[in-house]
Amino acid sequence: MPVGLGVVVVRGRSMEPTLHTGDRMLVLRGAPPRLGRLAIVRLPDDDSGNPRPLAIKRVTMRDPSDRRRYWVESDNQSALGVADSWTHGIGSLAREQIRAIVLFRIPHRVRIPGPRRGRPDLG
Amino acid sequence: MLSRIFRTTEVSAHCDLPCGVYDPAQARIEAESIKAIIAKVADNDDPDFRTRAVVIKEQRSELVKHHLWVLWTDYFKPPHFEKYPDLHTLFNQATKLAGASGTKGEFDAAKADELLAKIDEIDKIFKETKAA
Repeated sequence: MPVGLGVVVVRGRSMEPTLHTGDRMLVLRGAPPRLGRLAIVRLPDDDSGNPRPLAIKRVTMRDPSDRRRYWVESDNQSALGVADSWTHGIGSLAREQIRAIVLFRIPHRVRIPGPRRGRPDLG
Repeated sequence: MLSRIFRTTEVSAHCDLPCGVYDPAQARIEAESIKAIIAKVADNDDPDFRTRAVVIKEQRSELVKHHLWVLWTDYFKPPHFEKYPDLHTLFNQATKLAGASGTKGEFDAAKADELLAKIDEIDKIFKETKAA
């Protein structure tokens, strides 16, 4: 798997309160997963054989029954219809299903110090 | 060049099922997850895994209750309860099976099976009302 940087944008509520819809993340493709950190994963196809979209999950542990595989979870377990290692019989993921690791969230906007521009002067 | 490197990919943090749709399948999916968690925990004694499984199983059980209550209070209407007099009791029994004396509080595969059977009974009535 080639290593490279990428940017992803989050859709949905399953990673709240850590991440929200519209958050942009810098990711490193092909990097090895780290426990406790976020990763971009390819979940197996659903019961009807339709591919699930690439998803963002937390890698929480190794599968206790197969230490080469990784357990992934949504942060928001009370979100409706969460799909992770605990649900839909998905279970743990193989190394190659973990496509990228998340490096950091890109700030929504960078505040530049100094007088505000484009606003009426209330002074 | 930069835009090629930093092409933005959408990643899902999102539901498998559409929201705002009434369907006992939502409760069933959560109940099946509970059954799978109970089976998985029976298979291994990793303490971290077990601790996590307890928490997740409680949350999934709450979701079963939530989905059942939405059906009970929002989908089913007085004429349905007249036509199916057992419906209130079915919901009461099903939510009880997802509660502290059921899948929420215990690691008992039989309770998960009973819960799934109750959800199926509700689903049967649900389908009849849909067909009507």
